[in-house]
Amino acid sequence: MAILVDRGTRVLVQGITGKIGSFQTQLMVEYGTSVVAGVTPGKGGQVVHGVPVFDSVQQAVHQTEAEVAISFVPGPYACDAAMEAIDAGLRLVVVVAEAVPLRDAVRMLAFATGRGTFVLGPDTSGLISPGRSKVGVQPHRLFTEGRVGIISRSGALSYETAKTLTQNRIGQSTVIGLGGGPVWGFTYRQALEMFRDDGDTDAVILLGEIGGHIEEDAADYLRNGYPKPIIALIVGRTAPPGQKMGHAGAIIQQGKGSAQSKISALKRSGALIASAPREIPEILRKELRL
Amino acid sequence: MQLYEFQAKQVFREYGISIPKGRLATSADQAAQIASELGRAVAIKAQVAVGGRGLAGAVKFAADPNEAEKIASTVLGMDVRGETPTCVLVEEKMEIVRELYAGITWDYANKCPVIVASSRGGVDIESVARNHPRDIARLTIDPFRGYSAYHGRELATRIGLTDSEVGLYSSVLSSLWAIFSEHDAELIEANPLAVLHDGAFVALDSKFNLDDKSIYRQSDFIDRLGKMPTPPPEGLAYRRFRAKERGIPTYIEMEGNIGVVADGAGSGMLTLDLVADAGGKTRAYCEMGGEATAQLIESAVQVVLTNEDVRVVLINLIGGLNLMDEMAKGIANYVVAHSPKLPIVVRMSGTREDEGRRILSEHKIEFFDNLYDAVETAVRFSKGS
Repeated sequence: MAILVDRGTRVLVQGITGKIGSFQTQLMVEYGTSVVAGVTPGKGGQVVHGVPVFDSVQQAVHQTEAEVAISFVPGPYACDAAMEAIDAGLRLVVVVAEAVPLRDAVRMLAFATGRGTFVLGPDTSGLISPGRSKVGVQPHRLFTEGRVGIISRSGALSYETAKTLTQNRIGQSTVIGLGGGPVWGFTYRQALEMFRDDGDTDAVILLGEIGGHIEEDAADYLRNGYPKPIIALIVGRTAPPGQKMGHAGAIIQQGKGSAQSKISALKRSGALIASAPREIPEILRKELRL
Repeated sequence: MQLYEFQAKQVFREYGISIPKGRLATSADQAAQIASELGRAVAIKAQVAVGGRGLAGAVKFAADPNEAEKIASTVLGMDVRGETPTCVLVEEKMEIVRELYAGITWDYANKCPVIVASSRGGVDIESVARNHPRDIARLTIDPFRGYSAYHGRELATRIGLTDSEVGLYSSVLSSLWAIFSEHDAELIEANPLAVLHDGAFVALDSKFNLDDKSIYRQSDFIDRLGKMPTPPPEGLAYRRFRAKERGIPTYIEMEGNIGVVADGAGSGMLTLDLVADAGGKTRAYCEMGGEATAQLIESAVQVVLTNEDVRVVLINLIGGLNLMDEMAKGIANYVVAHSPKLPIVVRMSGTREDEGRRILSEHKIEFFDNLYDAVETAVRFSKGS
């Protein structure tokens, strides 16, 4: 059993009739994800890549027993869509939209708190458990089934790392994109807790970047000991301070959130530090005696 | 986006926060004229959207119009942490009793707004928090219920303001809250918030960072703000302006000779690190985000190449949402239109990579599958071999 999703997890796609939503649905269906429903208000009754479309999440859940949602609803409407999915009781909502206003992102995440729904994102690549299910936008050819978990803020950095592992014949159990920040629903800490108890994961790769403090928070969590090897890579070591490096969260301010502080914190908590993805396979081979 | 001080002050005034009298000057003559109209000592403040302006010597006082002219001519055209101001704000210099701080931002960990109040304004609020924790008070606000005046009174009392000051301070906070919530601020600050001899409160400086992702719904508001004169067609300010105009989310310059274009923030930062590890130096960096089009990557290559120092362009693409055939079309369009003499090194992997690579091959554009090979090749080119 993989964490969060598995073969047969019933997935609902919000914004399924849009250009991106429809194309990514096609890729997920081809990969084998059981996409059971789509939602676009006003487009109920249509069928997209074999998936029935409903007007509301409530209706879709009632008819198809969907458990998990992935939303391709664009930034301006993303908060409303996420709150609709949370209200309908889905256990996981993946918010792909990149340009969600900060105020809306905070509201959707605050709304999810205490309602038992995990929100992944916003601005996330989603998650993939290779060979089982993909609820995301990953270029899945770069991934392969295996026993190493990956948690990354950045989608592209997780693809880069998975590609390196795959080329080195090291498969992945689940790869999670947390999103560009500066505010996150699901964080490293929760993902680490799940990987700890996951019988299919032998080691975890933590891909972080400058800015914010969720890596330091992960280091705090790891300090009490973790039963599996953790390999950490922090990017943005050479980024100039005071500049937003693309992700809203990736900025070094007044010396806070620097790569060095994150690397030191993770090292102190027992993580093995890599400075580029290509160093990771060797560390894994040594740790896991592959 | 960080608003300029004069824009933020205009908003403050509209929402009932007092600011010093003053106007913008684009020349030293004009600065002297404003100083003479004000008829007293003035502050001359470079209008730049970077922090640390005062420490860089771009905020100065002048006793009379003559001195104002001299100072303005120095400040206009000086390098203020990489920006060259095209105008200065000339304001009356206030006689003040003390300086307070009032600001609102987001508490990302607790997922709500947070109000920060301090009886020690004017200096770096972070160092106040570190060295005088009792002089700073914070209050988180429920994102659904919002702010109420009693929050302001509570904070004013906690930082030790007198009875008569409590009302004035909390009314400044009410105004700041209205701006914060109506106009999608990421951060809003009155600092220093000066107390004058007659007890009045005046915001001597203002900071207003608008959330970039909310610009689409604040466009009327932004259009209403006074415009900064367009920068002259050279220099960093202009290249930034061009990048923004073309919809490139991130454009950053450093000292080096490699232009880097990436389609993800994380992989972009990795690229910069690997370039540095391989002994190369990045000059200009464009990151396009996950919703890039052929047009956007074409613009990104163009903007990077407006830097005369750039000797090679390194493009690292590893897309999930971004489609590699679209990206290849954009690169090919640039090459066809400009027949660049400088080498362009492409690394391409991800969704629709086969289609993308076919397009690059048709245009005889060399590409790599392996990131490290691409980085090493670009660094080699940058060193002239």
